[in-house]
Amino acid sequence: MSRPSDLIQGTLDLLILKTISHGPVHGWAIAKRIQQVSNDVLLVQQGSLYPALHRLEQQGWITAETKPSASGRVAKFYALTPAGQKQLEHELNQWERLSAAIALVVEPA
Amino acid sequence: MLLLARLRLRLHSLLRRDELDDQLAGEFEFHLAEQKAELLAQGLSEAEADREARRLFGPVTPLRAQCRDTRRTQWLEDLLLDARFTLRALRAAKAFSLLAILTLALGIGANTAFFSTAYGILFRPLPYPEPERLVEVVDGFSGVGPVTALRTLARSVDYAGYGAPEPANLQLPGESVRAFVSPVSFNLARVLGVTPHLGRWFTAAEERSPNPPPVVLAHHYWRTRFQSNPAILQELILLDEKPHQIIGVMPAAFSFPSPQTDLWRPINLDPRLAGQIWGSGGFNAMGRLQLTATLAAAQSEIRPFAPAIRAQFPWPMPDAYGAAAVVTGHDRAQSEAVRPKLLVLAAATLLLLLIACGNVGNLLLARGIQRHREFALREALGASRTRLLRQLLTENLVLVLLGGAAGLLCAVAISQALPHLFPTDTPRLAELSADPALLLGAATSLLLTVLLFTAAPLLAARLRDSSSGRSLSPSRRAAHLSLALIGVELALATTLLIGASLMGHTLWQLSNADPGFAATNLVAARLSAGPSRCPDLARCLALLDDIGQTLLTQPATRAVHWANFAPLEKELTAAASELEDHPRAPRDPASMLWRTAASPGYFSALGIPILAGRPFTPADRAGAPLVTIISRSTAERFWPGQSPLGKKIRSLADLQWRTVVGVVGDVAQYSLAGFPSWVEGVQYLPLPQALSAAQPSLNLSLLLETADPDWPQALKQRYPDLVIANVQTLGELRAASVAGQRSTATLLALFAALGLLLGIAGVHGVVAHRAAQRTKELGIRLALGATPLQLLRTVLQETVLVALAGAALGVALAYPASAYLQSLVYGICATALAAAAVPALRATRTDPILTLRQD
Repeated sequence: MSRPSDLIQGTLDLLILKTISHGPVHGWAIAKRIQQVSNDVLLVQQGSLYPALHRLEQQGWITAETKPSASGRVAKFYALTPAGQKQLEHELNQWERLSAAIALVVEPA
Repeated sequence: MLLLARLRLRLHSLLRRDELDDQLAGEFEFHLAEQKAELLAQGLSEAEADREARRLFGPVTPLRAQCRDTRRTQWLEDLLLDARFTLRALRAAKAFSLLAILTLALGIGANTAFFSTAYGILFRPLPYPEPERLVEVVDGFSGVGPVTALRTLARSVDYAGYGAPEPANLQLPGESVRAFVSPVSFNLARVLGVTPHLGRWFTAAEERSPNPPPVVLAHHYWRTRFQSNPAILQELILLDEKPHQIIGVMPAAFSFPSPQTDLWRPINLDPRLAGQIWGSGGFNAMGRLQLTATLAAAQSEIRPFAPAIRAQFPWPMPDAYGAAAVVTGHDRAQSEAVRPKLLVLAAATLLLLLIACGNVGNLLLARGIQRHREFALREALGASRTRLLRQLLTENLVLVLLGGAAGLLCAVAISQALPHLFPTDTPRLAELSADPALLLGAATSLLLTVLLFTAAPLLAARLRDSSSGRSLSPSRRAAHLSLALIGVELALATTLLIGASLMGHTLWQLSNADPGFAATNLVAARLSAGPSRCPDLARCLALLDDIGQTLLTQPATRAVHWANFAPLEKELTAAASELEDHPRAPRDPASMLWRTAASPGYFSALGIPILAGRPFTPADRAGAPLVTIISRSTAERFWPGQSPLGKKIRSLADLQWRTVVGVVGDVAQYSLAGFPSWVEGVQYLPLPQALSAAQPSLNLSLLLETADPDWPQALKQRYPDLVIANVQTLGELRAASVAGQRSTATLLALFAALGLLLGIAGVHGVVAHRAAQRTKELGIRLALGATPLQLLRTVLQETVLVALAGAALGVALAYPASAYLQSLVYGICATALAAAAVPALRATRTDPILTLRQD
């Protein structure tokens, strides 16, 4: 289990927002989905997801709702708020500009 | 919108903390359970799955703390927790808390009350629009004529004039009262920027009208004498038997030039009154700078006007006329007299605050040392340094808040009392109130001390290597710091004491100064009546006789005397005079002689010794040869080494020579501290010869030897229109004349006592604390054979050294007042020793076995 690089760690918010944008999910599912979608490349320490989630919640970008999960246990499901939707678009924009810029620098002309 | 949502979230997290914590725990549990289920499905054993799930998740406790931190309410929760903890701790350490809070209360209270008073009198903007543009002319151009001329000439200032309130008899239905009327220029209201509450102010035409001028009422006079009747406008009132129309009432806040003023009347510029217009003093120029003008421009403009104004006088004036005139800020000119006193008192309270700060600092320091072990333990258990610092700050904040609240109560109480401690003629006394801004200032300075003393031990702890923190002995540095603080406190207390005793000494000297008259039970009263009672000199004198006879019909009344003013009445009465053997060039300033008019029995009744010649006799009548009596120092000044009897003096007003027939002892006619510097001598005139033949008026001081407090009754029955005011014995007059010095001395003594008290409390606290810390050492010494006396010396040594150093520093601070410091220095050392003795003696009674068993 390799440590994710700092760059990727910094974009944890973006990953979470993007994951949640598909519909309400609980913390464990978010961790799983990030892992699956990124083909096990982006491995975050599962616990560190939660401070990020709570921060996003305090910012008003996501809301939480407690309800039974598929396994029958009660879980906290997170969903995007309209403000969170805007924030996601903003962060995606940022990310695209950043990766384009990096591509320009890294790829041979 | 988002902001509102966030605020709601914060509030939610603050109020439903427990619920959120439960949710958080549930969330973690769910995650771990799901992970474990997945791992179990992969074929791991129960124990392995549990371990692996926890490993993947990471450390639960810090993560939980991180999650909580995202709520951003943690600091508040900590604060509340700390505050609760502090209150508990303060309750536990009652002596410490009480001492700290009382000290803070005293420091904050005294300072706030005092600074708000000083601020109110010295620095608060005047209650007029743009008060910084108001100026005052000092040292020149006084009088109706010069001020009016200045008003016409000046370009950069709109000048107006005002006179001190003058007494007049106001006839109301059923009674006659004394009213104080201030003469003013018509443009005074414009200059000050005030508008009447009712009616109108004066017009330019009213300054030149031959009719009796209209008057404007002060608000307080309208309220008390006219029951706030709005229909009073256009009504006539009789002032000195002449009808004057009331045309306006000023607002309540307007008390210019003094709160004594009851009425205003315009000056009279009738050219036929040139003598009065140019001869009267006591009329000052003030003004408002024109829009583009500066104080410097006003100053550079004013002196060149002197020749032009001098030329307008109906008589020749000295060449130097107006050469010293200065334009100054109006607020400054108003408070000039009380400024030094207030600054001294402000400095005294500041010293008091410093002493209080020193004491609280010491208390905190001592407590910090005591709690060293507690903090070391908490640090070892993982509390962060910032967290500990925050707790200390919270504790001290709570302390300051409690002290500040108590101080506020103190300040309110002191503020209530302060105006009574100042003489009533102090300017702007009525406007005073405790100022919240200044309270904040005092609290801030105390808060700073507390912050400083909180940070200091913690930083000191950081400097010490925490690994060697096993040594639990108090830091030497802290001990030295607290001793140094005590030294500084004692120095400040010494300074305060010296200041207070100096002022006390001055007061004592003044109170014991020989006023020159022996009688203290003589009753003085001011008698005045309207002009119809004194239409000419003969009838006026007859009236005085009749008043005397009426009073003497009362058996308890033994004698009646008259004077223009009683001694120490603080009224100026002087005349420009010329003395024989002292020729004067026509344009030189004349000699100013104090002039008291007295009836024949005056000298013997007051106990003033006749040193040469004779007192006045009934034969010194109006038509008889003009005579005068001078004081001893006047005789020595003008005719040293020769008899002044037979010499001649004349006043420049009537140019009639008067022969000196007697010399009497010096009397403090003006004040116990002496005459104004421009008074060169004192002369007495027989009353009948002093009253002006042309315009006699009854406005005299009656001096009565009587045992009957109801003596005015008979007079009131016979002369209902007579106004009897300011009834006081000469002893009371004398006491009142030093009221200003007495208030300063009282306040300073109070501050010094408080400062000393705080100093003693500080010394006691530090010595007690030091001795307690050294219990072990002292116990060992005792066990090794030291005598209690040796221990006493050990404990006291430091204190004595510090007290000596402190007293020496205090003396250095108060060096200018070094006249009789020695006794005081002994006093300080003795006090410090006494304060240190109790804990030191306690230390000598240490039981070595008990103390050695303590650890």
